Amino acid sequence: MADAGAGRPIEDRTAPVAKGAVNLLFIAPAMLLFGLFVLWPVGSAFYYAFTHWDGFTAPRWAGLDNFQRALADSVHLMSYVHVVLYILGTLIFEVSFGLLVAVLLNSDRRGFALMRGLFFSPVVLSMSAAGVLWAFVLDYRSGLLNSVLKALGAGELAQPWLSQPSTALIAIMIVSGWKYAGFYMAIFFAALRRIPRNIYEAATLDGAGPAVQFFQITLPLLRQNAMVAVLLAVTGGFAGFDLFFTMTNGNPFGATEVPATWIMKQAFDKNQMSYGISLTVVLAAVVMAISLVYLRVSERLSVHRY
Amino acid sequence: MQVLKGSLALFAAALMTTTALAATEIRITHATTGGAEKEVLDKIIADFEAANPDIKVVQIPFDDDVYSNTGLITQLQSNDVPDIYFQWAGFPVKRDAEAGYAMDLTEALASDGWQDTFVPSVWTEGAGTMVDGKPYLVPTSLDVTNTIWYNEAIFEENGISPPATWDEFVALTKTLTDAGEIAIIQGNNEFWPFGNWASHIAAKVVPPAEYTAAFERTGKFSTPGFLKAFEHIAELRAAGGFNRDLQGLGADPAMATFLEGSAAMHPIGSWLIGTAKELADADFRYASFDTPVIDPDHPLAHSVIGTATGFVVHARAKNPDAAIKFLKFYTLPANQVLRAEAGTLSPIKGVNETANLDAQTDQMARMLAEAPAMVPPPDTTYPVALAEAYYQAAAYVAAGEKSPGDALSWLDETVALIAE
Amino acid sequence: MSTATSPRWSAGERLRFGIGAVLVAAMFYPTVWMVLSALKSNREIFRTPFALPSVWRWENFVEAWELGRLGTLYLNSLLVTAGAVTLCVGFATAAAFAFARLEFPFRRLSYRLLLLGLLLPPPTVAIPLFTQLRDMGLLNTPWALILPGAAWSLSLTVFLMRAYFNTVRPDMEEAARIDGANTWQIFWRVSVPMVWPAMLTMIILNTINIWNELLFALLFIVDEDKRTLPVGLVRFYGYHSTDYALVFAALTITTVPVLILYFILQRHVIAGLTATAMD
Repeated sequence: MADAGAGRPIEDRTAPVAKGAVNLLFIAPAMLLFGLFVLWPVGSAFYYAFTHWDGFTAPRWAGLDNFQRALADSVHLMSYVHVVLYILGTLIFEVSFGLLVAVLLNSDRRGFALMRGLFFSPVVLSMSAAGVLWAFVLDYRSGLLNSVLKALGAGELAQPWLSQPSTALIAIMIVSGWKYAGFYMAIFFAALRRIPRNIYEAATLDGAGPAVQFFQITLPLLRQNAMVAVLLAVTGGFAGFDLFFTMTNGNPFGATEVPATWIMKQAFDKNQMSYGISLTVVLAAVVMAISLVYLRVSERLSVHRY
Repeated sequence: MQVLKGSLALFAAALMTTTALAATEIRITHATTGGAEKEVLDKIIADFEAANPDIKVVQIPFDDDVYSNTGLITQLQSNDVPDIYFQWAGFPVKRDAEAGYAMDLTEALASDGWQDTFVPSVWTEGAGTMVDGKPYLVPTSLDVTNTIWYNEAIFEENGISPPATWDEFVALTKTLTDAGEIAIIQGNNEFWPFGNWASHIAAKVVPPAEYTAAFERTGKFSTPGFLKAFEHIAELRAAGGFNRDLQGLGADPAMATFLEGSAAMHPIGSWLIGTAKELADADFRYASFDTPVIDPDHPLAHSVIGTATGFVVHARAKNPDAAIKFLKFYTLPANQVLRAEAGTLSPIKGVNETANLDAQTDQMARMLAEAPAMVPPPDTTYPVALAEAYYQAAAYVAAGEKSPGDALSWLDETVALIAE
Repeated sequence: MSTATSPRWSAGERLRFGIGAVLVAAMFYPTVWMVLSALKSNREIFRTPFALPSVWRWENFVEAWELGRLGTLYLNSLLVTAGAVTLCVGFATAAAFAFARLEFPFRRLSYRLLLLGLLLPPPTVAIPLFTQLRDMGLLNTPWALILPGAAWSLSLTVFLMRAYFNTVRPDMEEAARIDGANTWQIFWRVSVPMVWPAMLTMIILNTINIWNELLFALLFIVDEDKRTLPVGLVRFYGYHSTDYALVFAALTITTVPVLILYFILQRHVIAGLTATAMD
């Protein structure tokens, strides 16, 4: 978040190269595209959310009906519980795990760069490829995981991982961790490289062990990066759709239903466009509120820091 | 050279314009994407085009899940509607007629005695082809939506034969489970595969008035009849009748697992036959028995569950005459025989009797002919949300997530929340 | 922490190497399993999941390529990605140049509006966008993915490009202006070559995101022969889900080229993908 970090307001810069309304032409293509395919649909969502609409015939005004229904819809409410659990999972399996691996693999020795490269590689794959691959890894009858368990003589631990409510959500969290831990590893690794080595050397001379160094030097210095990582994990988590859609699509019995999958079902499987849209408005409001609270909190923390 | 090229292009363009003017195009959208059925469809279309050089048929196929979710509805509403579309008889036809997508076919069917070429039972209100006494769907196939397919080799190895009663069925399921076989495989992640079966089980146990009242929302599901039906499901579960990955497995993978020879039984519809022709090995032996009699005194004890499917002509079709011409061609006995031989039962008189059917299709034909009653599946009879709630309640019991009583209470609570 | 100067490995380094190697091997193993399984028969995948193929069945790839029409899917994905990335990076660079270097009415308002896109996840507009594209007659055409794909990548790209502009002093542009160049000439001849490295990073970031995009591609394209790779793969899996070897072959065909490209361009790819989180 380059500019926010520098804390420099947009006016506070060198004199403009040129002035005048004609310069609007430079932003016109971008604004036109953005207005047409981002702002306009967002605006119309706010309108349709207050109507009864099947997507085709003329919408009828509905007042708050859709939102009242959203509050009474237990699957909808549970989808937020699931997504919060999922986000907590990503903070463990993606952010924390990524941080640990970044520290573990922070070395110039031969082989470490290759390991980092391999560790990052799932990040570039599509979620659908990752989902299909892991559906095979977790398959009950012939999946890799159950085969490994049987080969280790622990066959009784073999489970239909994605078919039972008790294991499906955690299985998805782990797949998500596999896919994205490398992303956070790369962020933290880049930040670790910027910590001067002599800080650690001094600490070692003072007799501080690796654990003490991690908690007293590394973590505090990575705080800014950790904040960004948490923001990305939280906002990305709320928008999560691909992995859930590919692996379980909300099953079994709604145990992995998250807002995005439930919205798509309302709008397309069940043909209740306006109800689905009202749920997207709820989701947008939640994500924006969290982002704004975050920005407030992080500003305050930054003030303390400097 | 340049001049020559130019005039050639001009000539080609002129040629294309004239053919474009001469050809009438009919667009047909459907959910047949593979298997023997698709080959027959392609052949019938090719024959039709050969017989009518002025008509061109354009197919718009979809996977069946995409078709029923977004594929069809977006086309019905667009400015460029298909002339003909595939549809399930019953509730969907009623909805389409009321929304003004479906064309009233009374006149077309009356001409040339077309209507009389069909078996009379498809032209009843209960068959789901008519709305308010007017026909809207041209039925082109009869589907049994659930019956129990079994692997003959596995049955023989375990010394068992098809059961005559429900108790025998539960007992043989237990025998197979104890022998280490996968007794029954089902992929229920979309709820309708087991849902169809569970409705047939209920239809055979619950007093008809009680059954109808619950689905028409004039009564409750928490009744002694439904409780008994769900207890039978729980009983089957205790015998090992449901695979542990029931709720995570898709319908297609489950069917493929059965056709590969890995499971003893697979409850699904008659369309398995067409897929078996494509996926199963040549030496794979299989047959079917229907859900056995549970309560011999029940009026629907010997019923089968099934529905018709067919084609609707869009009310705003650009070329309705050509569309009707195609459907008449499609339902000619000679073409229906081709379809029957590919594993689809025909609603046209005499076709199933004269076609050279394979053993399994023949078994389906006899089952349909002999059944005293046909139960339609809830998802083509009642609003989808209601049918799905019932399917999910049944799945709770099959997966052991809820007791029969709890599942029914959950169902009543859920149904109460569904808007009228 | 790292003592690269010493030629000998300390015990701690050996331990870290050991733990790291086990971890990375476990993480990468599913990918290896995928490739090996793609070369087996179904029977072998079930019976000997860990062994090498007894016969290397390269024909699986041919079958998956033809059955899944992967060539068509690749072309569709290439078309959509190239179109969307070109529009996005081109428009975003011009806009970032304007926001960083020029003065014009509604500058702050436009920039704030654009940043709103950073806070909105795409699922929140999927449905209204669907009906909008339908009414515009774009549904089921490549434009249904190119235009929204570009539009939804704009916010981040403009934000990062403007940040990059702010790290470079406008001396060169000033000099060009004094030499009598007009604003377009300054942008095209001076600024674009100057920020080209950042544009490359943006091209990589957006290419990966749009290439992998699933939600819009799932909703806005219904025809089989216009699908992109991620959707085609999910559908292929749905239809052939028990033909393991075939699905693994399709998965391998769609992922291994991406992985190879990644390993060749590793440094740039990581820089591109993590640009969002770098300060």
